[in-house]
Amino acid sequence: MSFREKSAWITLVTVLLCFGVYFGALVTGRVSGEGFPSMHLLLACVAVLIVLQIVLNRIASATTPKDGRAPADEREVLIQNRARSFGYYVLMGCSLTLFLPVHFGHSAIQIANFALLGVVLTTLAVAGAEIIMFRRGV
Amino acid sequence: MAPGLPIANQIRRLRFDHGEMTQSDLAERIGMTRQTVAAIEAGKYSPSLEAAFRIAHVFGVGLDEVFQWVD
Repeated sequence: MSFREKSAWITLVTVLLCFGVYFGALVTGRVSGEGFPSMHLLLACVAVLIVLQIVLNRIASATTPKDGRAPADEREVLIQNRARSFGYYVLMGCSLTLFLPVHFGHSAIQIANFALLGVVLTTLAVAGAEIIMFRRGV
Repeated sequence: MAPGLPIANQIRRLRFDHGEMTQSDLAERIGMTRQTVAAIEAGKYSPSLEAAFRIAHVFGVGLDEVFQWVD
C-alpha cells in the first residue's frame, strides 16, 4: 500500500472516529448542543484529530519511506484531483441542504453544526473516493 | 489489457528481459510508486507521454515497443 493510500485511510478512520464521537454525543443528548460543553468537546475532538493525523502519518511515512518523502506521482495526483472534484459536489449538496435547518428555525449553533457535518461528510467522501480509486488502480 | 483502455503494453516482458527487473526498481528509475507501475502494467492506468518515454528509455527501446494501440 502506498503512502498516499495509507494517508487516505488515516483521514477516513480518524475523521470518522473523532467527529463520530462529537456528533454521537450531540445526537444522543450526552452533551448539550448549545453553549460551552459542546464547544469544549468539539475542541477536544479537533485536538485529538490533529495529534492522531500527525502521529499516524509519520508512522505511515516511516513504513513507506520511498514514496513517503517523494512528491505524489501523476497517477496519485490524478486520483487526488478526481476525489476532490467528487468532494466538491458533496460539499455543494451539503451547502444547499443547509437551507433546511434555517427554514425550520434551528439556532445559529445548530446550523453551524450542520455546516460542520457537511465539511466532515465532504472529507469522508474525498478520502473514500481516493481509497476506491487507489484500490481499483485508478 | 484492461477493459476500456485501448492501449496494450509489454512492460512485464521487458522487465523479464532486463534481468527480472522488479516493479519497484522500474518505479524508482522513472520516479513513480510501485503501485503506479503495477497499474500501468495491468492496463488500469494510461501513463502520460513523459512517463511513457521514461519507461521506454529505461528499457532502451522505442515507445512503440512498450505501448501498442489496440483497435
